[in-house]
Amino acid sequence: MNIETSASEAVQPPAGARDAEGSLTISARGVSKRYHSVMALHPLDLDIRRGEVFCLLGPNGSGKSSFIRMLAGYLTPSSGSISVCGHDVVTDGLAARRLIGYVPERVPLYNFMRVGEFLRFAGRLRGVEEQHVGREVARVVDLLALGDVVGKPIRTLSRGYRQRTALAQALVHDPEILILDEPTNGLDPRQIMETRALIRTLAGRCTVLMTSHILSEVEKTAHRVGLLLHGKLLGVRAIAETPNLEAWFLSVT
Amino acid sequence: MRVLGVLLRKELEATLTSPVGYTIIAVFLLVLGYTFSLTLVATRVANLNYIFHQIYVLAILLVPAMTMRVFAEERSTDTLELLLTSPVQEIAIVIAKFLATLALILGMIGGSVVYAAILWIYGDPDWGPIYSGYLALVLLGAFLVSIGLFMSSLTENQVVAAALTLGTSLMLWYADSVSGMLPAPFDSLALNLSLIGHFHAMATGSVFLSDIGYFVTMTLLALFLTTRRLQAR
Repeated sequence: MNIETSASEAVQPPAGARDAEGSLTISARGVSKRYHSVMALHPLDLDIRRGEVFCLLGPNGSGKSSFIRMLAGYLTPSSGSISVCGHDVVTDGLAARRLIGYVPERVPLYNFMRVGEFLRFAGRLRGVEEQHVGREVARVVDLLALGDVVGKPIRTLSRGYRQRTALAQALVHDPEILILDEPTNGLDPRQIMETRALIRTLAGRCTVLMTSHILSEVEKTAHRVGLLLHGKLLGVRAIAETPNLEAWFLSVT
Repeated sequence: MRVLGVLLRKELEATLTSPVGYTIIAVFLLVLGYTFSLTLVATRVANLNYIFHQIYVLAILLVPAMTMRVFAEERSTDTLELLLTSPVQEIAIVIAKFLATLALILGMIGGSVVYAAILWIYGDPDWGPIYSGYLALVLLGAFLVSIGLFMSSLTENQVVAAALTLGTSLMLWYADSVSGMLPAPFDSLALNLSLIGHFHAMATGSVFLSDIGYFVTMTLLALFLTTRRLQAR
């Protein structure tokens, strides 16, 4: 990827991240999700600031994916509301979804398409004007170093290239918010480092909300972390103010 | 409208790159050609009634195989999540899939126009029943596709989707047969739901608004239910 991969020091909050409410991009109030009799996510309040990288940390089944799927507009909250830059994701869903780029845990790709064709499709779907589609696709192809595979069928891609293609489709409309569900799952160490570096590169340009169940991953990537366990948000901390994330994790859980 | 065009293009591409569609069209035309030849030789009558009823049966059997993947595959590969988290209304997704699948079926039915041409070259057919028969086939195709789309939206298992579509179509086909066993008012309800009852009249040259209304209403109802199914998440 055409991004710096050497930076491994603690991640600093973006400029303006400490602003008051005006800089909020994501605001959740009393959001919960119930699947029949199972309470997957208990009511939670969460604010995420413009330009920051926020990570939801928690084990499998803790409610991370439910929360981000509600934010992305795929699931409807059982109670409460979520707004994205002032647009409610349920009542003003189209406007909210225009501002979001989303990569689910299992990368969703059309295997019958070629990479470039898929990215053009994603751009048009997300409202990129026809005259700018080519330029935006070229931008994300360059950003994610997809030049070698842009003409190849998606079904022939390796796991790493599939992940990059999924990231590219989420960025093709230059979103305000990038949502990544377990973005490094199944990647090799080099690809993990490249993905972390990409997320850091994007910080400040857009707000990144990601999920992870790996402490070291969170430390190296996020500005703030929210800990979810059994569907409850146990706490939110700034990474810069938490020298020992593991100790905090153990004390809270 | 632009988004609908983008989705429709994607759906058509998905349909045309799948071997399933070509295989079904090949089977359809092979069986139809066989039936047409036998019927023409046996009856020497210049009409397409037999062909229309043959297409009716084949469509009920083959359309489930064409619609089963439409939503079920998107659900199993998680691409439905991609579509539903894009700034696109659910109805646009449904209409794009409906039009793309219907286009394939119309292309399949269009292959039978060659039989009408043969009758025109070698005989003197009555064109009224042929026109109304093709109208019946278009309406039947739209109806079966919409049922198939709805069933495909209920599951991520393609075989289950196909079985549900086939089962529903067969039950509607035979609805008039069970009407005699039902008490009022269910007997008339079953009679009015009968697929063959509404198809047969049109396929033999009698066009009634009630028959057209049946197909249009049922198609719109199935598309509405499919849209609601996508919205309920």
